[in-house]
Amino acid sequence: MKRGLVSWDKVNELPLEEMDARLAAVHAVARNRGVDVLVVYSDVWRSNDARYLSNYMPYWNRAFIVTPLDEKPILLCALSPRVYPWIKTVTVHETIIASPSPPATLFKLCAERGWKRVGVFDLDGLPEDLHAELTAGKVDLVDIPRTELRPAPTAIEVRMHARAARMAREVLENELATQKAQTDYELTGRLELVLRRAGAEDVVILVSDGEGPPIPAEGRPVGPHTSVVVAVEYNGHWAKVTRNVAGVTANLTSPGGATQLSEILSGPYSWENEAHGVAQTDAVISLQLQIAADGREFYYGDTCLRNQEGLRVL
Amino acid sequence: MLKLNPQRKREFLELMARRGWDMLLFYGDTWRKDHFRCLVSVCFTGPQAVALLTKEGEVRALVTHPWDVEPVKAGTGGVVTYAPRLVDGLKQLLRDAGKAVVAVNGLEQMEARFAHVVRELSGGAPASATADVEEIRRVKTAEEIEWIRKAADLADRGYAHFVSAAREGMTEYELVAEVEGFLKAHGAEDNFMLVASGGTEVTGMKPPTARKLQRGDSVITELTPQINGYYAQICRTLVIGPPSEKQLQSYAIFAEAQQAAQDLLRPGVDISDVARVQNDVFRKHGFGEYTGSQYTRVRGHNLGLYPDELPHVLENTHYTVKKDMVIICHPNTYLPLSGYMVFGDTLLVTETGCVSLSRTEKRLFQA
Repeated sequence: MKRGLVSWDKVNELPLEEMDARLAAVHAVARNRGVDVLVVYSDVWRSNDARYLSNYMPYWNRAFIVTPLDEKPILLCALSPRVYPWIKTVTVHETIIASPSPPATLFKLCAERGWKRVGVFDLDGLPEDLHAELTAGKVDLVDIPRTELRPAPTAIEVRMHARAARMAREVLENELATQKAQTDYELTGRLELVLRRAGAEDVVILVSDGEGPPIPAEGRPVGPHTSVVVAVEYNGHWAKVTRNVAGVTANLTSPGGATQLSEILSGPYSWENEAHGVAQTDAVISLQLQIAADGREFYYGDTCLRNQEGLRVL
Repeated sequence: MLKLNPQRKREFLELMARRGWDMLLFYGDTWRKDHFRCLVSVCFTGPQAVALLTKEGEVRALVTHPWDVEPVKAGTGGVVTYAPRLVDGLKQLLRDAGKAVVAVNGLEQMEARFAHVVRELSGGAPASATADVEEIRRVKTAEEIEWIRKAADLADRGYAHFVSAAREGMTEYELVAEVEGFLKAHGAEDNFMLVASGGTEVTGMKPPTARKLQRGDSVITELTPQINGYYAQICRTLVIGPPSEKQLQSYAIFAEAQQAAQDLLRPGVDISDVARVQNDVFRKHGFGEYTGSQYTRVRGHNLGLYPDELPHVLENTHYTVKKDMVIICHPNTYLPLSGYMVFGDTLLVTETGCVSLSRTEKRLFQA
């Protein structure tokens, strides 16, 4: 389920100064682009960019994060005002406007505040109905690549992804070592329980029996050829870790004959194949290896930081 | 095992013929997999998946994650293409579209860049099939009802686990962890769950917090486990320790309202009346003002491959109820007696009325 625990530790995890710096960078983008306001789209499974800017992580529905020049971001969302007090405790938002249609509310704000040019991060990535409504309006829209919003993961983001990866690794390795589960259902349930108790916000688990790719649990027995993929979201930061019962591994950076899958975890979606979007050198990624051994397929993978210095497992 | 729904496929082909569509695309993304799964019942892993149904009845699929190829191929028995860039995949899928009339189920949720590709290759703006497909999906097949029954049964067992796990001093998120773990261990694909705890300060449900449960708290939750794609929901309230008079008084109103909906629900009734009879109970008890959007969202909704299907049960929504719809009626709202309270069952509409698929006792629970 989305979401589990959504919290904001301003002392140890995500200081206000970091959010201020991100906001200042976004204001600089607006000035450079000559726009009056910037828009970031968010929904249940495409929330990473909004989380970066305001720490908003929706459990349901769509939203626009609207950032006027030199002001804090405004949240336009269709969630009930009854949950706004809670949203304010876990985000930077002080102003939240109930918006069954975020474009309609945006146009109203534009009219009230005299905004003429509206920058939209990845305009063509908007859902078709919102895109149609927005482009039919009377404002001047400027498409801005989302790499200008998040050019590279900040040190604090990397730390949060590392925390999520550590959580996934420790829990998964411990569960596979003790092997209490008889079926992939039971194993999935055990992992969910322990990870959510540890504060995971979301958990997605896939299991391979060695005959096919990792898929959601189907009640198959856990055996020596089982591989388990654990994707964990911790306070808006995803990690993916894969291990197998047999302990088959390979070098993530030079996998030899193993098939490698690289997914970006610091993009707009929770994860997506790197080929799907614009490749970013600086990114938090998941590397998954498919290793053939004993006539079976084993999977092994982890969460890494990739930057100019190379690749580092988080 | 083939995971193409033959009845649905036939109904979609009939829809295409009626509307004059040559091709119908089913676009699912991670949030709205239901738009894809109503034709191909596979829980995909990648950010998107698309199924193409031609008017001749051929099914082809496009997936954006390599691990989805095998299960979707096994599920459809047809051609499955892996395209890490969906734009490229759509171009390949529609390369022979020519002047075909293309409709998209889930068009509204589709990234605009993908809709552009459909427009370019078919020479015209794609039609939205979403509302038509939703109307077909609203009435469940016999097989779908069986899956929802299983989900309702799991919701019952999940709520029993919720009651047994809840205790003073436990945080909300620890309680949710217990239930999520239980549901997944017993076969749930997913679960939509909201929760809240406290007294009259509680105005709605949300994701769990680190708040610790206290004696006297109302602990409210909706559990919505998913089995083979299909959701069922249960809403109940429990009290940590003995309930107060006001909690009991509040519960009695909710139980009366839910029963009123259950007594009325049958084929042919207007869904607005199902909302009205619930709200009338609150009005009768002097709490009419708490039936508005300031205090509540909906008095229920349809269930299926999406946990919040339309129609919503609202006084200003008009829809004629049909046999084999599955609807949760829940008069969930805030009352000044004891704060936000929830109570609801998953109801299957039969020929003459409805039956509750939820077996959990109708009472105010205590932990």
